[in-house]
Amino acid sequence: MVEERRILYEHLDVPDINTFDVFRQYDGYTRFEKAITEYQPEDIAKMVMDSGLKGRGGAGFSTGLKWSFVPRDIKPCYLCCNADESEPGTFSNRYVLEKNPHLLIEGILICCYAMGIETTYVYIRGEFTLGKKMLDAAIKEAYEKGYLGKDIRGTGLNIDIYTHPGAGAYICGEETGLIESLEGKRGQPRNKPPFPAVEGVFGKPTVVQNVETLCNLPFIVGNGVEWYTQMGPTYADTRANPPTPDPNTGTKLYCISGDVNEPGVYELDLGLTCSELIEVAGGLRGEEVKAVIPGGSSAPILTHYELDTRLDFTSLTLAKSMLGSGGIIVMNETRNIVDCLLNIMKFYAHESCGQCTPCRWGTPWVRDIVQRIADGDGRKSTMTRPKFGVAENGRWGDTGETEEIYEDLDLLESVANNIANVDTMTWNTICVFGIAVSWPAVSYLRKFRPEFEAAIREGKLVTLPVAEATVPPEENYAYQQRFIPKEFADL
Amino acid sequence: MSDELIQIETPFAFNEENQREFNALIGRYPVKEAAMLPTLHLAQRQAGYITPAVMKYVAEQLEVSVMKVKDVVTFYPMFFEEPVGEYVIRVCHTLPCALRDCKGVLEHLKAKLDTDIAAETNLAKGTTPDGKFTLMKVECLASCDVAPVIMVNDDLYKNLTPEKIDEIIDNL
Repeated sequence: MVEERRILYEHLDVPDINTFDVFRQYDGYTRFEKAITEYQPEDIAKMVMDSGLKGRGGAGFSTGLKWSFVPRDIKPCYLCCNADESEPGTFSNRYVLEKNPHLLIEGILICCYAMGIETTYVYIRGEFTLGKKMLDAAIKEAYEKGYLGKDIRGTGLNIDIYTHPGAGAYICGEETGLIESLEGKRGQPRNKPPFPAVEGVFGKPTVVQNVETLCNLPFIVGNGVEWYTQMGPTYADTRANPPTPDPNTGTKLYCISGDVNEPGVYELDLGLTCSELIEVAGGLRGEEVKAVIPGGSSAPILTHYELDTRLDFTSLTLAKSMLGSGGIIVMNETRNIVDCLLNIMKFYAHESCGQCTPCRWGTPWVRDIVQRIADGDGRKSTMTRPKFGVAENGRWGDTGETEEIYEDLDLLESVANNIANVDTMTWNTICVFGIAVSWPAVSYLRKFRPEFEAAIREGKLVTLPVAEATVPPEENYAYQQRFIPKEFADL
Repeated sequence: MSDELIQIETPFAFNEENQREFNALIGRYPVKEAAMLPTLHLAQRQAGYITPAVMKYVAEQLEVSVMKVKDVVTFYPMFFEEPVGEYVIRVCHTLPCALRDCKGVLEHLKAKLDTDIAAETNLAKGTTPDGKFTLMKVECLASCDVAPVIMVNDDLYKNLTPEKIDEIIDNL
């Protein structure tokens, strides 16, 4: 069984770790002191780049690379810490904020030092009242102890941290939505480019980082790049010649919920498989795994055929899904996939910010179609059409058979794909919310089509046995280009 | 919204404590408008909900138009434009909670409080006649490991069962 490796969460359960004195006993702020005494800002930025740290907020973009886009000569530059944790299935930041806020402050300090930033805004979602209270108290303490404010530790550094409460809008977790919201407007995402690294909050260069990403920084600085890169797999990206390293280093705070015996946050090296994680979380509650959502509700679903998929950024991307924010939701054999999709689509229809037409109208439309199917009013044509699939020659094409036409299922896929096309990965919206809607919609439909068809045929929700409900990988063109990376390929 | 409409409302102004907090807030941002969300939170805490008078006051304080404040208030679900009960009960009903029977929680609360669920544009629908409780559904509260969860004002209650809910409500 895979062992937990607690780094960010190591001292989480120490009593009073939220106070400065106790945090200090557990090496608190020593990593920041090491950074300012032993390294130049450029060294820290290089260390972060070399560590291969990928942003933990959802996109999995290299943190070091993101920092390298920030122009050094334009001041002021801002840091926005994204603590607007609202992706269904994700809850790791909450514990950091509520229990160990000084760790986040230390991470912010290191980032500020590396980037020459003087002002940080921590955007906390409005519902995190306790988290905000704890962080505010910790910030106050850090000011009193001279780790924040003017001329920190006599180095001439001036760093301020302010908390900024959100007000319940999911879209403010998107980086440009967050910036708009921080500026006191509706949280409607901006067009990119210009990217926030060049023109962000108040028109100035802005680094936007997730809480978990920032919490990794003290450990990278404290223990060194070599120690950090030992954890998690590094793949070779063979699209480039010669192959470039594709690091998935470090630990991840996996949030596991749904049908497992011990839901919670587990800190593990990146790269363990789905079934291993379920085992770590006390095993499945129920008889059989029906489906797993690997990265928050936006991520395409995995079937029981795909439980060997490694939960890291690269492997999940190649499996046509994503690690996202690391919120894993497990469903057992009693769950109805149509019902689950309906729940998720209600969420997206509610949370669409209303800026782009395909999303504003498309999300309620998709929700209404799924609602109709769930209510037993799904539409089916009396005609048939040629069936496409793996033909005799082994390639995708006309199989020579006929299939029934389920109008609502075709419509569902078409509407979802017109918000954002999951096959070409192009979206008709400003932000990636579009793809976050169509990914679940299309993947649930393609992978669990029999259950959708049964609901339309029977006129009510029918929960099929797992084997019957799932489309086998070889029959499903969502899997066609699936490719499993070589483990630790030689570079 | 015309000025006449606003005049008929009771005028709003921050009390001393909130004024102090507001003054501290405003210094954090290079532009005053950026303090919008925290200011509205403060105002809502004092007034109970965001009346046109509150919007007008906030607009004056931040030196923006009333329309801009209204724009923001209507966007964010945490700002109320109608009166709500003393205790706002937010029931999470997103997937991880749904997998742990949040429907049962909702039904139990509905029966216990003898009220319907508030609609976003009709909060009165979910408010008890005595004005003590408002019951509403919200999206993910980021506590999926301890689902099902509810939030009563600022407090989160975890791993709910009907007995636990009774205890929570009776103690309010």
